[in-house]
Amino acid sequence: MKNSWTGGEVASEPDRREGGELAVAVHRCEPGAFERLIDRFEQPLFTYAHNILDNAFDAQEVVQDAMMRAHRALTRQYDEARCAALALKPWLFKTVRNLSLNKRRSKRSTLEQPLESFDDGRLGPFVSLEGSDLERKEEVELLRRAMALLPVDARELIVLRFMEEMSYAEIAKTVGSTEAALRGKVFRSLKLLRDALEKRPATKGVAYAM
Amino acid sequence: MQCRTVLTRIDALRTRELAPIEKTAVEQHLRTCRSCDVSQSDVGQLAQAVKSLTLVPPVSCREGCKDAVADSYDRVGDVWVAFSNGRIRMIAEADSIDEVRQSYAKKHGRVLEHATIPDALRRQVLAAQRGEGVDAPKVDLDAANDLEHDVLQTLTRIPRGEVRTYAWVARQVGRPRAVRAVANVIARNPVPYVVPCHRVVPSSGGIGNYIFGSPTKRALLEREGVDVDQLDALAKEHVRYIGSRTTHIFCFPTCRDAKRIQEKNRVPFRDSDDALENGYRPCRHCQPVAA
Repeated sequence: MKNSWTGGEVASEPDRREGGELAVAVHRCEPGAFERLIDRFEQPLFTYAHNILDNAFDAQEVVQDAMMRAHRALTRQYDEARCAALALKPWLFKTVRNLSLNKRRSKRSTLEQPLESFDDGRLGPFVSLEGSDLERKEEVELLRRAMALLPVDARELIVLRFMEEMSYAEIAKTVGSTEAALRGKVFRSLKLLRDALEKRPATKGVAYAM
Repeated sequence: MQCRTVLTRIDALRTRELAPIEKTAVEQHLRTCRSCDVSQSDVGQLAQAVKSLTLVPPVSCREGCKDAVADSYDRVGDVWVAFSNGRIRMIAEADSIDEVRQSYAKKHGRVLEHATIPDALRRQVLAAQRGEGVDAPKVDLDAANDLEHDVLQTLTRIPRGEVRTYAWVARQVGRPRAVRAVANVIARNPVPYVVPCHRVVPSSGGIGNYIFGSPTKRALLEREGVDVDQLDALAKEHVRYIGSRTTHIFCFPTCRDAKRIQEKNRVPFRDSDDALENGYRPCRHCQPVAA
């Protein structure tokens, strides 16, 4: 999804090469290649899935499922040329996204999960804190709460764009949208986050529907 | 450019994802518009702050994925044996494990890691190589397609000390005309020795080719008790079947019933029609022709 107006995908190029090489290594079943893939992507994918699912166990299940699917596809379905041309990162995130949304859908129909259940930090996942000073901890906690208040589609964009630092082109591939539309959505998501941080109701007049 | 247009592009500007024309327009606007400029620094701050929200999975999925991506290998005698879950998946001869890894990756899409092979499997491989035969080979044929599965299953039913023809195998799997395809499957047998693909020979006589070379096949058959020299002699005479004058039954020359025929009662046949016309019926054990 290349927008002629915005030009090329400068930021994503190195990433894509790295992904292609790794994909080919997995395709060839080089020893340790798949472990490299897991080490490189497990944590980001988990963060992403967790933000969609609000649940560590489900997120972990989804990530493992996605990894196995990726392995099957790379080794059994895709030929080497396709692996080499693969934009691995968006591809993996898209897999996790689809699986997470499926799981969310099936869960929601059986069990309504309130947003408050987001606070399951004791179950395992924790916020990685670089500076351990209290002030910073508090700040992070505030941010986490604010994130929990956002709708899922805003949360996932924030994860992809700001935590994963994906280019708009990559996000477009992951969530199936256009770069132009995403620019608006990302900005609105960020604005929602800012509003949530300041605990004030969403500003009227801004279209939040996404 | 309007403020709302600019706001949606602030973030793209941050990562240099804007086209030159857009970039210039946005930058120009930011220089003149105070509120957009404030938004710009806010976007930057938030973008930085969110990074601290990274989550770490409580347990890595490496272990969970392992079974799905890796099998084990070990060296047994002079062959490499790949196995998983107590079943043999591949037997190969190669100078290095890397060659085996490559063909294994191509076939199964999995990595091979060294592990000690279970004793039961080791015994089977060694017994098969010594020509002792294996009754219930512990092999994993999950990756095989229907034809491969049928063919390999059929091979295990050829008794030790006997040989059958490729045409016979083709008939047994219900594909009498697909002799070539069946022969190809046999030639690609992933578990030679244990699944006895060496017990299949060409209808035209001789002992044919083998994954590990014809001489190996010959030696292996001799160890199993096949009289290979006799097979060669019969092939020279174009004799394919042996009939019994007393029972009027004809067999493959290596059939255990054919071996019991006394010398004076042996009747050689060059083809099955000949035997049938002479009032002979095919043996029910080795089934030289379709029943």
